[in-house]
Amino acid sequence: MPTPRFWAALAVVTACSDAFTSSPDPGDVLDGPIDGLTPDELAAFVEGDRQFGRPFAPADGLGPIFNNVSCAACHSADGRGRPENVLFRFNGLGGPQLQDRAIPGAVPEILPAGAAVSGRLPPPVFGVGLIEAIPEATILALADSLDADGDGISGRPNWVTPPPWVPSDEPGAEPGPRLGRFSRKGQVSTLLQQVTEAYHQDIGVTSDFLPVENTNPQTSRAAEAADRVPDPEIPAATIRSVLAYIRTLAPPAPGADTPERQRGRVVFHSVGCASCHVPVLMTGPSSIPALANRPVYLYSDLLLHDMGSGLADDRPDGSASGVEWKTPPLWGLRVMRDFLNGDAFLLHDGRARSIEEAILLHGGEAQGARDRFAALTPADRTAVLDFIGSR
Amino acid sequence: MTARLWLAVSLTLVAAPVAAQDTAQGRPGRPFVEGGQYDRPFLAHLLGRTAVGGYAEAHARWVRADGVTEEAGFSAKRWNLFTATQVSDFVRIGAELEFENGTDEIRLEYAAIDVGIHPVFSLRAGMLLSPLGKFNLAHDSPRNEFTDRPLIAIELLGVALSEPGLGAFGLVGLGGPARVTYELYAVNGFSDGLLTSSGEGTRIPLGRDNVEDNNASPALVGRVAYSPKVGYEIGVSGHRGAWNQFSLDGKQVDDRRNLAIWVVDGEAVVAGVKLQGEAALARIDIPPALRGIYAERQGGLYLQALRPFGAGWVRTMPQSEFAGAVRLDLVDFDRDIAGDNVLRVGLGLNFRPTRDTVLKLNYIRGASRDRFNNRSDQAGLLFSVATYF
Repeated sequence: MPTPRFWAALAVVTACSDAFTSSPDPGDVLDGPIDGLTPDELAAFVEGDRQFGRPFAPADGLGPIFNNVSCAACHSADGRGRPENVLFRFNGLGGPQLQDRAIPGAVPEILPAGAAVSGRLPPPVFGVGLIEAIPEATILALADSLDADGDGISGRPNWVTPPPWVPSDEPGAEPGPRLGRFSRKGQVSTLLQQVTEAYHQDIGVTSDFLPVENTNPQTSRAAEAADRVPDPEIPAATIRSVLAYIRTLAPPAPGADTPERQRGRVVFHSVGCASCHVPVLMTGPSSIPALANRPVYLYSDLLLHDMGSGLADDRPDGSASGVEWKTPPLWGLRVMRDFLNGDAFLLHDGRARSIEEAILLHGGEAQGARDRFAALTPADRTAVLDFIGSR
Repeated sequence: MTARLWLAVSLTLVAAPVAAQDTAQGRPGRPFVEGGQYDRPFLAHLLGRTAVGGYAEAHARWVRADGVTEEAGFSAKRWNLFTATQVSDFVRIGAELEFENGTDEIRLEYAAIDVGIHPVFSLRAGMLLSPLGKFNLAHDSPRNEFTDRPLIAIELLGVALSEPGLGAFGLVGLGGPARVTYELYAVNGFSDGLLTSSGEGTRIPLGRDNVEDNNASPALVGRVAYSPKVGYEIGVSGHRGAWNQFSLDGKQVDDRRNLAIWVVDGEAVVAGVKLQGEAALARIDIPPALRGIYAERQGGLYLQALRPFGAGWVRTMPQSEFAGAVRLDLVDFDRDIAGDNVLRVGLGLNFRPTRDTVLKLNYIRGASRDRFNNRSDQAGLLFSVATYF
């Protein structure tokens, strides 16, 4: 039986622990490393984290035109962004991405009149290394472009050709068309391309891979007068550092498997959500052992689907049409609001403020599942929403 | 005739000794700024006509954030050397050279010539300590009760804020110990470093050190303070001027963009507790293409209470004294959004073997929020020693 002195000591220790702050549970954060990394990989993770959060000032190479000052400035705690971080993609002079900010001396872009515009909310960054490690064959096995099984769900790969500046030894950059698995329409096949273009397009920072500034073609003002930092503004090592970081970012842990959620899982499958939001895929070999040959509970097939006219942006991207979107993973929804100031911003442009609203905005191939969800009893609807929200 | 009259008046005023600047009417020895440039203990030790002094400050720090130890080490924080020379009865020059974190940062913090004309009006020119809040004028570590300066001083105002400039200062006695003091200077102002050197958003301190004026447009900085008696004062100060390079070779290349900072400071003693505080608001004219990322409005404050006790408890140190202190710090880097701020509470227990030396033990606990309003907790134990020499 503990003595009063023991309890007093415990109280002091507990108080002191909180008095000097405590770490959040690793499963509750979006910026923790994946389990099983080596000390060298952890060191690279920490350095990459620093680079990911490094804000650029004009004196560091920001701009001349840009969207934000760092990776972390758009991805809240490495998760999704808020509506004020939405990037606009458009066709026309200055496209494909609107850079609506500029450093002093440069001129920001404006949307051309009548341009087809597609808003894109910054997606979560965690788990992308696991997604990268899923073999193409695993994803292609889920494709059913012609809906041969007649379930109304097709699932189509976005075949893309990596730009020539991406080294061919990068995963997803092997010769020939590759499966696009990153970005909202799956128009990018390699993480290196994703990171390099984010620096170039979003922050206006040139690198060894893309050493020429992105300038505003809508103005005659020379950008060189504004951005006097010599190009490339960051070395390839910085890109690779961020790459190492996001590759080993762990997805947050799902919530406890309560009876309500077990029932929700059954309903999730029965209404057809799992046809596209495939609960688990297996990774294959990886140069990072912690990523290799393990289940990934991402709830996505990483394929393109017709989501109907309500969600269409009418702006093709690669081979993805104006009504197609890549199935977004559902992992991390449990803690989403914790990093968005209590809010939820779902779907490609963040228009949905709750999981329920997001489901009800589904159309196209998902119309059937959406209607079956809408027809659920209140108890079943609550159960499935609780299940999805616990991922 | 008019010229002769002005000459006669001027000569009469110049004859008033500069020493009078440190003397309130009827109260010889009361400094113009308590704890300021000419209110330092060892300046009395003259070397010829020059007094030499300084202060040193060393830290031991253990700081954690969200359960992770971010600092556990030591720093030779500052070693400052200052001089004061009474050149003549009406001219003096003061200087302060600062070495921060070893030789990481070496700067001439102060080097100003005072020409005493009359207690009500004296000229000052050189590297000035901007009268932007009382703390900037009196920030020596041996006088401060906490290891770290107030966050508003570090993050918002950039203490020590010194600028090349020219202007006037003086005091007006109001009978008895009451007085009004003022300082008003034209200075180079801030540079576009507050924006171009900062990726974190607007950071006014990064626009300091505008040693060579960047825009041919002086700024104005001034402070007026009313003090009914020693230990009680309220001051209002402001700084306004263009920060950007809006003109090149006489051609306007950008809109003129101003920075305006307003500070209210005060101190009083209530029931034996010394209260101090300062609140600041800043308005920064940001180019339209950068709004939303770079803040246009910032603010912050600190409030501090100090209660001395235990005078003479240490028998071998009859001048010794303890003090308990508490301080609240708040800095809002962007008043137009919910996040991007820091809130901190500090508790302090100090021991002064003598008035000029202090050992400080501080506990700090607070939280910062990023622009998404994500919270990060910080805490720390700080121990420091600071002394004049």
